[in-house]
Amino acid sequence: MNAPMSLTLFCLGAVVLIPLLASALSVLLGSAARRVLGVLTSAAVLGLSAPILVRVTSGETLELALGGFESPLGITLRADGLSALFLAMTAIVGAVVSCYAAARPAATGKRLVAQTVEPATVTDGDHRAALTEDAPAAWRTGHAGFWPLWLGCWSGLNAVFVSGDLFNTYVGLELVGLTAVALVALGGREAWAAALRYLFIAVLGSLLFLIGVALIYSVTGTLDIIDSGEAITQLAAQGDADLAAVVLALCLISLGLALKVALVPLHGWLIPAHSSAPSAVSPLLSALVIKAALFVLLRAWLWVAGPLPELEILAWVLAGMGTAAILLGSVMALRQSRLKPLIAYSTVAQVGYWFLLLPLLLDPETSALEGQPGTTLEEGAVLAGALSGTVALALGHGLAKASLFLSAGHLKDLYSTDEITELRGAGRAHPMLVMSMGLSAVGLIGLPLSLGFSGKWLLATSAVAAGHYWILVVLVAGTLFSAAYLLKAVAPLLVMSEDDQTALTLPQAQNHPGASDRTLTGKAQLAPFLLGLLTVLTGFLGVWLTGVLEVGAPW
Amino acid sequence: MMLASSTGALGALVEAGLLGVELTQVQWYLLLGTAVAVIGMVRMLLTRDLVARLIALNVTGIGSLMIILALAARSAESADPAGSGPGIDPVLSALVITGLVITVAFTGLGAVLIRRIEGFPVTGRRDDPESGGPAQDPEAEQ
Repeated sequence: MNAPMSLTLFCLGAVVLIPLLASALSVLLGSAARRVLGVLTSAAVLGLSAPILVRVTSGETLELALGGFESPLGITLRADGLSALFLAMTAIVGAVVSCYAAARPAATGKRLVAQTVEPATVTDGDHRAALTEDAPAAWRTGHAGFWPLWLGCWSGLNAVFVSGDLFNTYVGLELVGLTAVALVALGGREAWAAALRYLFIAVLGSLLFLIGVALIYSVTGTLDIIDSGEAITQLAAQGDADLAAVVLALCLISLGLALKVALVPLHGWLIPAHSSAPSAVSPLLSALVIKAALFVLLRAWLWVAGPLPELEILAWVLAGMGTAAILLGSVMALRQSRLKPLIAYSTVAQVGYWFLLLPLLLDPETSALEGQPGTTLEEGAVLAGALSGTVALALGHGLAKASLFLSAGHLKDLYSTDEITELRGAGRAHPMLVMSMGLSAVGLIGLPLSLGFSGKWLLATSAVAAGHYWILVVLVAGTLFSAAYLLKAVAPLLVMSEDDQTALTLPQAQNHPGASDRTLTGKAQLAPFLLGLLTVLTGFLGVWLTGVLEVGAPW
Repeated sequence: MMLASSTGALGALVEAGLLGVELTQVQWYLLLGTAVAVIGMVRMLLTRDLVARLIALNVTGIGSLMIILALAARSAESADPAGSGPGIDPVLSALVITGLVITVAFTGLGAVLIRRIEGFPVTGRRDDPESGGPAQDPEAEQ
């Protein structure tokens, strides 16, 4: 590709490299300058993602060989419909959360400032001057380490989404995983153990993925996602014995990514990691980081492996785990008494939805409607519906869960507790926060007009077309359960008056010395509200989404 | 005990190689790599000692890199049917090198976290009258 790089192709490289550059630069800056740089970078990434989305929507797959080196030596970036959609969602959520973190530095974690601790934990910042000298060690809110880590994580996420080959996908996943672990660790002493547990799981998942990638390479002779998919299709046509290696590779990749995406029963690490992370980090973890693993899973199943009949058992196992995730995650969410663990379990439940499409992939015949007059579904319609339904569910979850975690973290910072019973009536004092929780609950339950509804509708339609009626049962059960646990979380906050004998006494709102007092009640509350609003507004995009996903689709 | 059973299985593999099935060098290293990776994984999932877990994760990493190196030799072998050439697939070797870099990175991160967890007094700072206000450490009460 020696033609002069067009502006859009420049954007394709820049969405990966600019956050990486900003991450490296921010290490050199003071904490106030880091906030400015973070907001500027997020605006830049938002601006750079827009042309990519526009060009892909017009029906063009973008491809860029970095530095003019073609594969196998070079690094190919490629953006098709799936990439562009995930890129756009990441840009929106990332930019909003960045603004929130810049407006409320206290939400970025806490650090130990002391003479007794090793110097590495003491980052120089403006807070240090305010520290009283006689305190040997004290936790200070706000951790400037958030910015380099989050920008690095963003770079990794974008690298995963636009990667054209499997190995760069691995490098991107690893970058996301390691920075996410460090982001969890910003939460202070309680979060360290959770972060370490997350590290073990994330690295184990990456190693399994790496072995799978190497197996696929050794069979197909290429790491390129599209080329290896073609090679595997040829092998399948010849009935080659190497196909067993592909099946093994897909097993390893699926297991590794299921670990990273926290599919039941591999979800144990997610609850402590997501609920003990700082307020600005939990939304990023839940909305974006696990989406990277989901994205790679979809790539591997749809683009690399294609519909191999040998994978049927694996597909059913994963779909069964998904069903179990919806049921178990919901039941566990209902049993929580604290806000953040409840939302974390709701993530576990929502993960299950994304695995329901796998049996549909291998059996896309429209068997149920076959032979009936007037039903002429074209080739790939079931696949397209199932994929766009799943993607809509994942994107809707990203927006809604980011909003929900932001509001919950904000409430927790306000009242220094997230026990639901103690937060009764918080809606009176903070209507905007509770309103955004309600909006995101609408999205997560999948009530009409939200993106979650479009996703469930598309998935259910294609499930019926393919004769997989069990998916309907799972979807309905999941919807009812999610309505139950989200009502349990939101309803107590909405109590307006003392309609029963219990007095409405909110815990004393925290009064921080200095600036953080104002930031808790100020404009920062707009961030979750904006995301909640987007959850509902994007519900109109269901059809558009299906169209965008057709760009570069494997069928 | 687990290690003993694993080495027992390895011994059985060796005997199988010696007695019956003829293993090529590549197959031998593939089996060895798999065994190392599985041993590391089992140990990692079953132990509670943090340092042991980190080292077990390292062992798993080495095992998976061994598998990839064996696959690299296999790719070169199948490209050159004589099979005796010293060639090894450069792309898979590049994968291994990147894998090593990432191994160093996660080991370092894990070591820092373990040092903090184990080096921090369990009965934290909350006894300290200067513990910096109630808002900053709500969960320390537990």
